[in-house]
Amino acid sequence: MPKILIVDDDPVIRNLLEQILEPFQEHGVELMTAENGVVALEAVRRERPDIIFLDVMMPKLNGFEVCKIIKNDNEIKDSYIIMLTAKGQEVDKQKAKDVGVDCYITKPFNISELIGKVDEVLDIRIKWGA
Amino acid sequence: MIMSKLFKKTLLIIIILFIVIAVTIAISSGWNLYKDLVQEYKSKGTAIAKSIAGSSVETLLNRDASTIQAMIDQFLEISGVFYVFVVDAQGEIVSHTFVPNVPDEILKIKNEKAKTISIQDLNTEGGGKFIDIAAPILEGIAGYVHVGMDKGMIMSQMQAAMIRQLALIAIIFIFSVTMAYFLVNKVSQPLNELSEYARKLASHDFSSNVDIKSHDEIGLLADTMKSMATDLREVFDRYEQAINDAVVELQNTLAYLTAVIDNMADGLLVTDTDGVITHVNPALSYMFALRETDLIGKNCRDLFGNEFAELVRKSIDNSYEVYTSEIGLAHNRIGKAVATGIHQDTFETDDKGIGSVILIRDITSEKEVDRMKTDFISTVSHELRTPLTSVRGFTEIIKRKLEDDIFMKFSDDSDMKTVKAVKRIRENIDIILSEGERLTALINDVLDISKLEAGKVEWKMENIQPADVIERAIGATSSLFEQKKLAFVRDIDIDLPEVIGDKDRFIQVVINLLSNAVKFTETGSVACRVKSTGNEVTVSVIDTGIGISDVDKEHVFEKFRQAGDTLTDKPTGTGLGLSICKQIIEYHGGRIWVESELGKGSSFFFTLPVNAKSGHTSARGVDIIPVKEV
Repeated sequence: MPKILIVDDDPVIRNLLEQILEPFQEHGVELMTAENGVVALEAVRRERPDIIFLDVMMPKLNGFEVCKIIKNDNEIKDSYIIMLTAKGQEVDKQKAKDVGVDCYITKPFNISELIGKVDEVLDIRIKWGA
Repeated sequence: MIMSKLFKKTLLIIIILFIVIAVTIAISSGWNLYKDLVQEYKSKGTAIAKSIAGSSVETLLNRDASTIQAMIDQFLEISGVFYVFVVDAQGEIVSHTFVPNVPDEILKIKNEKAKTISIQDLNTEGGGKFIDIAAPILEGIAGYVHVGMDKGMIMSQMQAAMIRQLALIAIIFIFSVTMAYFLVNKVSQPLNELSEYARKLASHDFSSNVDIKSHDEIGLLADTMKSMATDLREVFDRYEQAINDAVVELQNTLAYLTAVIDNMADGLLVTDTDGVITHVNPALSYMFALRETDLIGKNCRDLFGNEFAELVRKSIDNSYEVYTSEIGLAHNRIGKAVATGIHQDTFETDDKGIGSVILIRDITSEKEVDRMKTDFISTVSHELRTPLTSVRGFTEIIKRKLEDDIFMKFSDDSDMKTVKAVKRIRENIDIILSEGERLTALINDVLDISKLEAGKVEWKMENIQPADVIERAIGATSSLFEQKKLAFVRDIDIDLPEVIGDKDRFIQVVINLLSNAVKFTETGSVACRVKSTGNEVTVSVIDTGIGISDVDKEHVFEKFRQAGDTLTDKPTGTGLGLSICKQIIEYHGGRIWVESELGKGSSFFFTLPVNAKSGHTSARGVDIIPVKEV
């Protein structure tokens, strides 16, 4: 059963992503959330999610650090990491690339783009919008 | 007392002349004296001889030798008489005054017979010269009397006379010379004084005076010179005063200028045409934490690196332009260098100028403020993004939920009011979504322009095929054309030269111009033309839209300035697009402008330099942009 982990310190964003990804639950996808990097890493090790939505600016461990740890750990490095961030500058994109982020999406994002990405990774077709 | 040269010369000539004259006079008078004496001796001798001859007839006839001897002896005492002897008719010497014997030369002449008095000169060996006067006694019958007058005596008398004369002349001469000396001195002394005075005047020494009271020409000359000296002194004093005044004024001006330069808050650096530093002010020394002596005479390339030297070189080569550059200062501070070439109007050689003057301002705090501003804008925009994400996201979800789960329930069997409400909700949600998108665009543009203005954009410079850029932009905007049913005209030259620049940024510019064109055009077409024009590639976007008034044309490239009335016309963009375009194009060394006629459409143009040398100096990351006069 595919798993998606949503990591963001902002509960509103977590809520938003949960709602956006709700249709996938009907296809047996399990949604999980974590409010910071430390909790996220625990969840990753425990649940081995297929996709991780990762925020950058978080207390304790930021997104880059979390990503770096995951991608350097052979057991869990297979998770597909989608970085969701308000930081859209070239330096940030480059930094994300350097730590092994699989996909980089800037806030505010286009929902169809986001769903399309999940479709692609999990190979599940979800219809969005009219 | 110093003898004047004039006097020395005169004296020498006088001495030579005198010697000649004195010797001539001495010789001639000596000769005359000699002749007179000889004549006198001769007549004296003749008289003696005659007297003896007359009185010795008896005694000779009597052969009284002793009487004759006594007689002739007494004549010997007469001065000049050297000898007397008497010979008889037979030629025998009767008596003589020679001691002890008669010399041989005398013996030779004793036999000469003459009836009258005969005079002849005699030279005896060792005995001197004589005038021999022979007087016949009784016409030679009784014998002859010979009287010998001493010629040597004549000579010695003559010599003595000559010596006396010479001595006298010498005494007179010395006396005369001494007199002359004093006389000449009396004349030359004032002359000496005058010449000394003149010499002092010539060396501008007006302190001395000359005291000549005489009323002759020298006195006149002295008076003239004195009055001339007074005049000269006045003139010199006046000029000296004028020069002193000018010097003081010059010094004051210089001190003032130096004070201005030294007290400037900005650093000032002056170089010659080779980039060698010739002048700095204390502010500059402080900025670089270097002493003045470490700066003067050094080449700015060695001290401040190639970029700075390049700035200086440019300002020298093109002295009518102003060039700016940033430069690192001591203590991690940042300076802004403004360089201009120095060209002197009086310099007649050419327009190349004589150096460069560079003003350096510490812009660390400005940079800090800039950085803070950019950081602030960046932070704000990031902070805005998160709630905006929620707003947009939830709105989309609401929209989906409404469409999927709620609106369908009111589709067919609803009353008019409900249908109307559903329509209104749908419209409003769409407005929220489009405004959310606009807000996103605005945040992106604000962040973009603040980074452009702060020079914080990372440019990815590469060779670009312009046609490629245009095609990508056309592709990105094709949906807009479809929405508004506008015709699109594509007119792109083949074989366009490559340009150097940031490809994504160029695409951004073209998309911006194309979407603007679509935005303001309701019917007709939008054309995109790309032409190679000399050293540039010119891109134009031409629409048949509402156009821009002349008043608005000046402002379209300014921030938050859209054409039209922002109060009544519905703004559909961020108002930053063209401003961003201008920044991007100008960074690449190109130009951007608009031609438009109200109601007939607008044409936006921009150029990109092709020539790598001229167009991309500023694009290589060296941030040197010619600043136009403000």
